[in-house]
Amino acid sequence: MAESIERDNSGQTRGPLFYIGAGGLLLAMAVEALAVLGRHAGIPLLGALEIIQACILLMASTAMLSATLNKGHATVTLLTARVGTRARSYLHAFANLLSALFFVGLAVGALWLAAESWNDFEQSELLHIPFRPLRIVSLVAAVAIALVFLRDTWRSLRGSP
Amino acid sequence: MNGLLGVIALLVLLTLGVPIGISMGVVGMVGLMFLLGPEPAIIKSGVVLFETITRYELGVLPLFLLMAHLCFAAGASRDFFEAAARMVGHRRGGLAIASVAGCAGFGAISGSSLATAATIGLIGLPEMRKRGYSDALATGSIAAGGTLGSIIPPSGALIVFGILAEQSIGKLFTAAIIPGLSQALFYVITIALLCRWRPSIGPATARAPWPERRAALLRILDLGVLILIVLGGIAFGWFTPTEAASVGATGALLLCAWRRRLNRDSLRDALAQTLRTTGMIYVVIIGALIFAVFMSYTGLAEQVADFMESLPGGTLTAIVIMTLLLLLLGSVLDGLALMLLTTPILLPIVTDLGLSPIWFGIYLVRTMEIGFVHPPIGINLYVIQGIAKDVPLIRIFKGVVPFLAADLLHLSLLIALPAMALALPGWLHQ
Repeated sequence: MAESIERDNSGQTRGPLFYIGAGGLLLAMAVEALAVLGRHAGIPLLGALEIIQACILLMASTAMLSATLNKGHATVTLLTARVGTRARSYLHAFANLLSALFFVGLAVGALWLAAESWNDFEQSELLHIPFRPLRIVSLVAAVAIALVFLRDTWRSLRGSP
Repeated sequence: MNGLLGVIALLVLLTLGVPIGISMGVVGMVGLMFLLGPEPAIIKSGVVLFETITRYELGVLPLFLLMAHLCFAAGASRDFFEAAARMVGHRRGGLAIASVAGCAGFGAISGSSLATAATIGLIGLPEMRKRGYSDALATGSIAAGGTLGSIIPPSGALIVFGILAEQSIGKLFTAAIIPGLSQALFYVITIALLCRWRPSIGPATARAPWPERRAALLRILDLGVLILIVLGGIAFGWFTPTEAASVGATGALLLCAWRRRLNRDSLRDALAQTLRTTGMIYVVIIGALIFAVFMSYTGLAEQVADFMESLPGGTLTAIVIMTLLLLLLGSVLDGLALMLLTTPILLPIVTDLGLSPIWFGIYLVRTMEIGFVHPPIGINLYVIQGIAKDVPLIRIFKGVVPFLAADLLHLSLLIALPAMALALPGWLHQ
């Protein structure tokens, strides 16, 4: 897989984005481990799955934004590694613009769904976790990622890294 | 026709350097706009976004990644290599065999080919070169051994396949055990044959005394127990894969603390690395799912299936054509892109031919792995060159050729004997 496996520390390890994502991940891990333990001990942890889903949403949203901020998306470099600096800047600008448009599309889709279900007061079955904030988080993440890609388009055109 | 145009557009975008997930998502979204209209396309994309990032089963991915990063922080890669080196290092080619064993051991934690090649390469390569191993054998064995990370469960590639193909990740993991172990065995045989033919390429070294061997084995005991609990738990149905991943990550955290390697920096680093890789994979999965919806509307898979079924030779001819296509695409596309592009098209064909989707998942990952070590992409080779900068790329390519031959033989065996993948889940009543 085209993973980013570099073991440098350039990834964001501070700031709210990191703490929200890391908190979501650690909470999902702890809740699931407790649920397994509880199940085998005969004390089932009701609603664990719903908490984990909410944690995963928080973690995934910040992780996608973090990957975008760190230019960590998997890319085929067959052509971009072989062209000159100027052509590479244009290719990067094109890729960033297309990426921004894609996330704008996702954001519009997320907004549409949020608007349609706004008055339904959706919530999870056991713990009644409301879906409205979760939909807002997914929308905000898509908008933020689109904005980062737009910023990168501008930077690519200006030739800065 | 629409499907074919979509595939061509996707290949063009990938070549232009548009990120893999976004290329697939854009083609899928625009394709759906043409086929269904803008409103359904946008709404469908929004649904895919929300459902993907709240999907419980996908939690398996970041949790296994966290387990891998924590085990790395605990020194797992060095311990696996050193244990194997103490046990077989004194034999001809022993350190190369130890590297393959180290890759298999670390692969059972990392789930990634690149991470396995990079981490074992950092430890194994200097050791082999210091002991007079030929550069070709040293680099070739680690580049090839690294691919074990993609097949030996928990495998990131199998998780992504399971999500895309809507197949049980637990069953895929169990199905991958025999192919993964037999692949490692094929590499060991290749090294033994090479050293028998030309003993100078992997000279024998001094035998480690038994107390040293015991100590090295004891050092990986905790890691071994963790791996056994995680994989055994999935295979015997004690946990779902997501539960196993959380148990594994919690175990890795405790293991890190037990080994006095847990501190604020190591935890912060493990979490940051996990978030970065997770973010990248989520974007890829969202794009791939939108692309898969588009593909299902185009009917391309059905057309290709009809064509395949009309060919003389039946299933075998179809598999041979698929294999050639995958190897050809694998020589120009990155492994993840290859899997995401071909799964929506080939999976319905495989199902129509009466083949098991679980077998197909293992076969696809196996084919994808070959792309990691064959030119011109062969990303593992570049990873190894990044570690051994003074070894020319051509020598690394030469070194990997015997392992490539072993890979093709192993792939043929997997095609001829699907039971290699399907027997274990069957025995365990999965």
